[in-house]
Amino acid sequence: MKLFYSDILNNSKYSWDYLITDLKHLNFYNPYCYHSDFYTIFKNIILSLILREEIILLDSDFSQSELNTLIGSKDITQYNKPINNSELKGLENEEELLKMIKKVNSKWSVTLFTSGTTGLPKKVKHSFHSITRFVKISNKFKTNVWGFAYNPTHMAGIQVLFQALLNGNSIVRLFGLPKELIFQSIKNSQITHISATPTFYRLLLPAIGVYQEVIRITSGGEKFDDKTFFQLRKIFPNAKITNVYATTEAGTLFAAKDDIFTVKAEMQQYVKIHKNELLINKEMMGNTDINITKWYNTGDIVEIVSNNPLQIKFISRNNEMINVGGYKVNPGEIEEAIRCIEGVQDVRVFPLKNSISGNIISCEIVKNNPKLEESNIIFNLRSKFQDYKIPRIIKFVDKLLTTRTGKIKRDQI
Amino acid sequence: MITENLKKIINIILLSRGRKQITIVKEDSNLRNDFGFDSLDLAELTVRIEAEYDIDVFEDGLVETVGEIVRKIEKLK
Repeated sequence: MKLFYSDILNNSKYSWDYLITDLKHLNFYNPYCYHSDFYTIFKNIILSLILREEIILLDSDFSQSELNTLIGSKDITQYNKPINNSELKGLENEEELLKMIKKVNSKWSVTLFTSGTTGLPKKVKHSFHSITRFVKISNKFKTNVWGFAYNPTHMAGIQVLFQALLNGNSIVRLFGLPKELIFQSIKNSQITHISATPTFYRLLLPAIGVYQEVIRITSGGEKFDDKTFFQLRKIFPNAKITNVYATTEAGTLFAAKDDIFTVKAEMQQYVKIHKNELLINKEMMGNTDINITKWYNTGDIVEIVSNNPLQIKFISRNNEMINVGGYKVNPGEIEEAIRCIEGVQDVRVFPLKNSISGNIISCEIVKNNPKLEESNIIFNLRSKFQDYKIPRIIKFVDKLLTTRTGKIKRDQI
Repeated sequence: MITENLKKIINIILLSRGRKQITIVKEDSNLRNDFGFDSLDLAELTVRIEAEYDIDVFEDGLVETVGEIVRKIEKLK
């Protein structure tokens, strides 16, 4: 039986046949999807597509007070609607299910909330067209097995789901698993494709073994550093590694083989660089609470590598810059340098507030060489950076804090 | 006790800057003149003291000597 979804954490496996039977036995549909179980979330999204109903994805991490602010203090169980079973009658096999999904019309939409690393999550509504803009469907993708390494209620997770779903692929959970289980899942389920944040990939290092069966690695959501890139090459020698630039508001926009993104000719009219910041035309965006006139400020600082064709390189997030006594420090730049130091597995750079310089730079490091000391880090950085950029407080930790989307957390602790 | 602890903190900062550590800290030791602290060293000092004693010693303006820090911490008790 062809696998639809497997989750080593719950020790559960669901075939496509099981999914279809399960869908046919549902009596109610609730547009508010607030579950922690990935299979249930996937099933509800698929059901919403068949019924052509709106679905509102709520991260299971949201607290009751966050929910109250985002959707109002309503009892979501009151929104159960009976399902007209005739809509599901024709459903006998995976092919028919895929046909039904692909016939989805403009009535369907998905509402989700941005990760809210800088305040309250913002609501964004996408149509089937905008969410599947970059989905590639082909017979040659039929046997792909996707390692699912994102939160399924977030934009990146939904995009991976649609890429897998519309090609009738199997999905294997990797998100939130300890490193050993991730590698075990890759091997046992013969995963061919993984899409994740650079932080996710860095947490896999140093690797346990080599995984020949993985043929595609996609990375997005943060800047990808060279050290991780080269190490991933060794773990997944047959994989094509691609960087993707995507936002919750606009979905996937560009892809690159290295850190230089080429903006395709047809995309150029929707992209503008203003004061080094990447702006996206409103036409490319989902419906959102954010007030946009014509151009949306992404907050991503880029460098123009060439104008024709337009090629850009991502430098940092403008809200991530740390002000140390009037000097701006890009935490990504410092992290990249620390990651290159022998014995460093991963690092998180963040500000520590004080009444003298506003902030000083601090960092937490996960080391893979017990001999690595604070002095090695400082000595190394002193040859590369001005004094104000060098972390003043260095802590060695077992694990780094990450955000709900799996990116490195930059807030002060 | 507080002075000894402060000596430890000051030496951590001096050591990480590649400077010579101190053996004696007096109440009238001047942070800038005697230890050569610049504004970033002072910022680090205040963060480290705050982590230990939960007080921002520079909150009401610049502090010049070790004695001034000791008195601010003692006031808390």
